[in-house]
Amino acid sequence: MIVEVSHFLSLLATGLFFLVGSFALLTKPSVYISNLITRTYSHGFLFLIASFSIYVWLAITDNFSVQYIASHSNSQLPTFYKISSIWSAHEGSMFLWIVFLSLWGFIFNITIKNDQILKSNTIGIISLILVGFLLFLLITSNPFQTILPIAPLNGADINPVLQDPALAIHPPTLYLGYVGFVIPFACALSFLINGDPGIKWESLIQKWSVAAWIFLTIGITLGSWWAYYELGWGGYWFWDPVENVALMPWLAATAFIHSLSVSIKSSNLRIWTILLSISVFSLSLFGAFIVRSGIIDSVHSFANDPERGLYLLAFIGIIIVSSMSLFVARLSIIKPSKTIKRFSKESFISINNIFFGALIFSVMLGVTYPLIYEFLFDQKISVGAPFYNAIFIPMIILACIFMFFSIDSKWSRSFNFHFFIAPISLSVISSIITTLLISYIFDTSNLAILISLFAGFIVVYRYVIEIMNSLVMKKYLNPFSAIAHFALGLLIISISFNSLLSSERALNIKINEFEEYKDLKIFFKDIKVLKNSNHDSIEATFVLENQKGRTFDLSPEKRRYFTRGQITTETAIFIMPLKDIYMTIGDQLDDGSWIVNIQINYLIRWIWFSAGLMAFAGMVLMFSKRNI
Amino acid sequence: MKIVFKFIVLILPLSLIFTFYFLLTNNESYPGADYDVFDIPKFELGNLNNDKTLNESSLDKDFILNVWASWCITCRVEHPYLMSLSKKGIPVVGLNYKDEKEDGLEWIERYGNPYKTILYDYKGVLAMDLGVTGAPETFLIIDGKIVVRYQGEVNELIWNDVFLPVIESKDIF
Repeated sequence: MIVEVSHFLSLLATGLFFLVGSFALLTKPSVYISNLITRTYSHGFLFLIASFSIYVWLAITDNFSVQYIASHSNSQLPTFYKISSIWSAHEGSMFLWIVFLSLWGFIFNITIKNDQILKSNTIGIISLILVGFLLFLLITSNPFQTILPIAPLNGADINPVLQDPALAIHPPTLYLGYVGFVIPFACALSFLINGDPGIKWESLIQKWSVAAWIFLTIGITLGSWWAYYELGWGGYWFWDPVENVALMPWLAATAFIHSLSVSIKSSNLRIWTILLSISVFSLSLFGAFIVRSGIIDSVHSFANDPERGLYLLAFIGIIIVSSMSLFVARLSIIKPSKTIKRFSKESFISINNIFFGALIFSVMLGVTYPLIYEFLFDQKISVGAPFYNAIFIPMIILACIFMFFSIDSKWSRSFNFHFFIAPISLSVISSIITTLLISYIFDTSNLAILISLFAGFIVVYRYVIEIMNSLVMKKYLNPFSAIAHFALGLLIISISFNSLLSSERALNIKINEFEEYKDLKIFFKDIKVLKNSNHDSIEATFVLENQKGRTFDLSPEKRRYFTRGQITTETAIFIMPLKDIYMTIGDQLDDGSWIVNIQINYLIRWIWFSAGLMAFAGMVLMFSKRNI
Repeated sequence: MKIVFKFIVLILPLSLIFTFYFLLTNNESYPGADYDVFDIPKFELGNLNNDKTLNESSLDKDFILNVWASWCITCRVEHPYLMSLSKKGIPVVGLNYKDEKEDGLEWIERYGNPYKTILYDYKGVLAMDLGVTGAPETFLIIDGKIVVRYQGEVNELIWNDVFLPVIESKDIF
């Protein structure tokens, strides 16, 4: 009964959003109409959030007459996981995705007081997108379906790898990021619809875009961290298709935020800014399509259903093609007023746009090429790390070098470059020395890594000097840009060291025996079988001793869950500031020995720390008073 | 230059959308399905439930042969559908593949037995002759000849699209 109320509220919301969309795009703008739009949208949102809250409550109270809850939750679960089970599969996560989309629209709706026309159109566009996705939800993937007349006594349980705090918050954070870009997207479109080049939509949406970017950054980082310790993959990035479809909107968003700052300052690069704002949201939608159509097999993909795929493709296709057509039709009104001076800040940012555009294109190629190839030649190929490394490493190094020089550039003025000014020469020389020292200490001549390290160090050193200057000499420094770029340098250094120093090995080891790996002595102390309420597990205990005589225990596990028969590995990780010692346990061999995988991962936590620092930089901008 | 730009901006997304349309609608062919006809190989294997020895002539003329194992997770997913097939009266013969006897029996006890007979192939001899690469794998055998072979999980969709057309055309079961 209650689930029908929730279902009905969703239908009602869909109707209201449809009305908002029609008001905004079909009627002549006036004060009355924009008031009507604001209020109707808020009511639609209210109904939708009420519907979702009821749904959450149904999940908490174990209402297994709802089919979705019955197949993804269980009465034994803690309340926290009962709630997160809602987004553990397709229907519920789509529901959450839509609620977040409407939430962004709602906050925009109640906070923007001026720019009535721009606002009405923006809300109208968001509403139409909401209608499309709500219909998708209700028609092809209805989470309100019930099992009647007799509800099962208990649910089928949540996927065990999802019973983890990081994973419970990873999807919502990522979704908040994805759908947050609906605000710049809808604003750019309503700017194009209005066709008045005088409208300053860019400064209106800067903080909105940065907020969505923060969520996206944190969401991706959480996913990377989770894959490391929960899936037992032992790395931070795998170029998995679904990671890639999250990376593309992030790259586009990063370029967009850069380009936006130019458009705010001088109305230049408007074509880029609008194109990027459309791209970010389109790529977010593309990600939703890839994950939910089942077109790619991956740990992330939901169950395969061609009908869903076609509906999504059609709807997303309409959104993308119509916004691109509008963009092309209005190209003349967004023509730049001034030309960009050589070596001005604008010129560097337009180079940055080109770099990011090329990176997005390469990732898109890597994601789609295997699909097209399989379609044409009926053979499976996979595009993996070598392809992406070959493209990303040189591009990022070049981008870093351009960025290094852009620090001294000025808005709308060309600058004369002098190598012999102190900050530049100091950071270049100290980076060269550092890189040479590293090459000597670690005895490496791997050029890709050494040049990456050099690129990372010039950025880090340069910003350290800048930050000192701003603290001591009170020289003006944009804190957002300084922290974010410093974090990028740190990220590049961490990744380089990680790939230079990390190593792994599979050992065959019997109980009560010693093995040695690098400077570690590994003693296989014990193995036991544990029976738990919902799974059996094999837990091995190893005592490790390093050269300094420090000992610690590591207990990797293998689990088999009863309800789904799923086997998961539980990694054991010993964390030190500079490295992780990471163990997983595999199968037992005929001679009684066990296959154990041991990895030493250097600076891996620094990678996530750098990404977190970038998100923090975004927060600095969010809380600063001025537009930067 | 401007026309080229407009063209690229519109053509790129459009071509992607069409590519995905073709990929999504091109679902008629299943990569796991194979319709080559060949004789069922000669074999001599034990029965999982008792120690009676079975060979190719002790089986029916027309049946479904399903390769499974207790260690195979996809088999666990497939299992309820096999149960529903056997309830419909379709004769399913199991081929327990590279499995410990106790594990196989425990599985049958725990989840139910959809099989008329279960061949016990500990060393994977018959599986080797059949060209089995992994479990689950399912064969349709008519008149002692293998006519359909499917690698991977059989579910309602696969049954209706891969097996049923052949079964209906031969008018068996």
